[in-house]
Amino acid sequence: MEDVAMEPDSVDLSGPEPHHRVSAAWDAVTAELVSADPSMSDRDLSDALALLSRRGLSRLLGPWLLETLQLRLSSSVVPEFWSGLHQPENELQERDRALVLLRAFRTLLDRLDPFLNGLQRLGTWQEEGRGGLSGPGPRGLRERAFTSIRALLLFSPVPVLQERVLEFYSRTFSIYMKPQGGEEGGPAAPEGSDDPQASEGGACPGCGVPAPACWCQEAMELLQELSQMLWRLQLLQWVSTEAVTSILHRLIEQRMEQHCRGEYERSFLLDFQEWLELVLGWLSKVFIGEKDGDCDGDGAAPGGPGGPGSTVLKQWRCHMHQFFCKTYVSMRIEELFSIIRDFPESKAAIEDLKFCLERTNQRQQLLSSLKSAFESRLLHPGVHTSDILTVYISAIKALRELDPSMVILHVACQPIRKYLRTRHDTVRQIVAGLTGDSEGCSDLAAELSRGDPVTLEMQDSDDEGAGPEDWTPDPTDAVPDKTGSKRRSSDIISLLVSIYGSKDIFIDEYRAVLADRLLHQLNYNTAREIRNVELLKLRFGDSHMHYCEVMLKDMADSRRINSNIREEEQRLSEEEQPPLSLSAIILSSEFWPSLKEEKLELPPVVCQAMEAYTHRYEKLKAMRTLSWKPHLGSVTLNVELEDRTLIDLTVSPIHAAIILHFQDKSSWTLEELSAQMGAPQELLHRKLALWQQHGVLREEAPGRYCVVETGSSGERLERGVMLIDSDEERDSNTTTQSEQREEKLQLFWAYIQAMLTNLDSMTLERIHSMLRMFVATGPVVTEMDVNELEAFLQRKVRDHQLIQSAGVYRLPKSN
Amino acid sequence: MKVTIQQWNGVASWLWVANDENCGICRMSFNGCCPDCKVPGDDCPLVWGQCSHCFHMHCILKWLNSQQVQQQCPMCRQEWKFKE
Repeated sequence: MEDVAMEPDSVDLSGPEPHHRVSAAWDAVTAELVSADPSMSDRDLSDALALLSRRGLSRLLGPWLLETLQLRLSSSVVPEFWSGLHQPENELQERDRALVLLRAFRTLLDRLDPFLNGLQRLGTWQEEGRGGLSGPGPRGLRERAFTSIRALLLFSPVPVLQERVLEFYSRTFSIYMKPQGGEEGGPAAPEGSDDPQASEGGACPGCGVPAPACWCQEAMELLQELSQMLWRLQLLQWVSTEAVTSILHRLIEQRMEQHCRGEYERSFLLDFQEWLELVLGWLSKVFIGEKDGDCDGDGAAPGGPGGPGSTVLKQWRCHMHQFFCKTYVSMRIEELFSIIRDFPESKAAIEDLKFCLERTNQRQQLLSSLKSAFESRLLHPGVHTSDILTVYISAIKALRELDPSMVILHVACQPIRKYLRTRHDTVRQIVAGLTGDSEGCSDLAAELSRGDPVTLEMQDSDDEGAGPEDWTPDPTDAVPDKTGSKRRSSDIISLLVSIYGSKDIFIDEYRAVLADRLLHQLNYNTAREIRNVELLKLRFGDSHMHYCEVMLKDMADSRRINSNIREEEQRLSEEEQPPLSLSAIILSSEFWPSLKEEKLELPPVVCQAMEAYTHRYEKLKAMRTLSWKPHLGSVTLNVELEDRTLIDLTVSPIHAAIILHFQDKSSWTLEELSAQMGAPQELLHRKLALWQQHGVLREEAPGRYCVVETGSSGERLERGVMLIDSDEERDSNTTTQSEQREEKLQLFWAYIQAMLTNLDSMTLERIHSMLRMFVATGPVVTEMDVNELEAFLQRKVRDHQLIQSAGVYRLPKSN
Repeated sequence: MKVTIQQWNGVASWLWVANDENCGICRMSFNGCCPDCKVPGDDCPLVWGQCSHCFHMHCILKWLNSQQVQQQCPMCRQEWKFKE
């Protein structure tokens, strides 16, 4: 035998027994070890072993066996295995390919079985110490043998093995998952699974071939066999893991794409949990050998999982769960913008995402992706401010759910806040939203009435104070700023108001909006405004809302004064009754926002009524009088023409004044009207459009208007269409925010001029800091930033009131 | 054509008939209110002295209360007497 070569020289060959006996014993024992069915009697075996031990040869038995195994593997078994896999004539059908795979493994197992048994036997002898044998025992020997098998077999695996295994596993998986519908879906399902398909007659959903040729059951049996063989060879981990992983990953991704993408209103966590359990059932089939094997292999061989099969399953469950979370988070991150946009409906998706995000490390990814989504989809000139606000509000609500520490909210929404600051109508939109009269952000009004932040935040801080153990540190991606986590507010209104960093701008804007609303009202009903003001008071404090309260009080006072005056008028005799029913809103001018001044002469009949009203007011309130704002208010009137009557038109005073003039004289030129009413011609031209639209007036020649006493409705319609764009623009009565700012800056102009007169020339920064220093008249200066001042100064330069050269400003030389 | 006005809702602002804009004591506008008040008009009226100077009522009362010896108009130093 060739093993003589490996006998070390140190072995003592000279001894009491003759050579031929030793040689015979060695042959007998080695033959016994590799033979398929042991035939030697125990006695003979023990004698032979004892003889070998005496000659010191017995410890060579293990190495010899392993060496033989290796030689056999590399010379015949491995090549046979690989060529067994390549059988082109059998590769046409999936089923045949699976059978080839199985056959290859079966052959492999057959060839290796004698050696494995031999190892087992030798190990047992060693353990029993039979014939003075000693050694690492079955476990150690087997481990070394399996290492050799793995090394020689999978040293250069051919891709075809992975392909085959993958294909076979995918098939058995789909067979396993198929009967979910009808049967219990448990591991027992495959047995009965082909019956329903056979009756259907179509292709079997499990194995994908026509029902009569269904091999589902066979496939499941093959799977079981394969698993057991692989387990016996300790190859299960190495051959299956990759295939199983890729199958599961692909399936999870597929399932996610099909079920979850674009679907935000349902939670998928439970569904997936159930599905994963089902998949685990299949896994337990794949890894079934582990469980069975554990019994006879007493514990696992090292390299395999150390415990019962459930440990493997547990690991797989963890792995799959983790993978699910990761895939889910990645998908939702892509969709987060849409989820936020749909927020109250997409709450389920947010909750799922929150659960999964806590288990993966993808916050950074989420933040950067969401930020760029905002920038590309929201923050560009094509989006209306109210839409931006609506999304911002949804984002606040959604991210508040997602991340109670508010860090994501603050970091991700920074671009929105920055962008909103550059929009001029942001404040007006927010205020309009708060008062509940804008189309877009109706949530704001609800939010306002929800409760006040002071009490809300008090609750929070109480909670924090209660348990120091409950304290959680900020996430690592928090922006370190002076406001700690405690101060990080999630109150929508506070967040919106803080966009500009100052309450005052909001209060001023609210006052303007409130003034508009009050002045446009026909009745004195202020219940809603009172409620709003009360709610705002809770947020901004009493002192800020004081002016608004006085405005509301003016409304109530006006109502009372009106009814007083009305009563007084009714006591008058018939002929003394005023020709015109006049009521008034009487303002405390100091407390209202500055109202636009427009010059307008009202017709004498109105003026008289106003004088009479003033007279009565003076009687009512000693030492006080009224100053009328003729262009403000509203008028309800009827217009009777020869063939038609317009009833209950509500128009502005200037419209009323115009039509009253036409009552006296049916044709006016623009110049005449302008002279009569003291209003600029272009304004009148615009206002005349309303009456033209109603078909009451007609421009008979350029700049000349006359009454249309009889007119066809068709003509009227045509005019309406023609003039629709010149209809009144419903401009607000209060000056806008930017106009007010302009006025404030204008205040500084005097200071700037004085500074430049004294100091000759100054840089922009110098002017700014000087203004800050000297004009400490309150919040105005601190709010003005350098850019604004620069814009203002540039305007002055354009108007030639200032000269800029080499970075400094100076006054132009007089004359 | 005949135009019938059913209702004219005008807008006016009220003001005190005084010979000055601001109260000489608190320097606040007469049409506003004195620093202690919140609401102008009826709640913070003006009063006139016989010297024809006028002040917020609350302001002049405070002033008169602080005068130990003789009660004078803070503007013209004449003896203060309310104008009836």
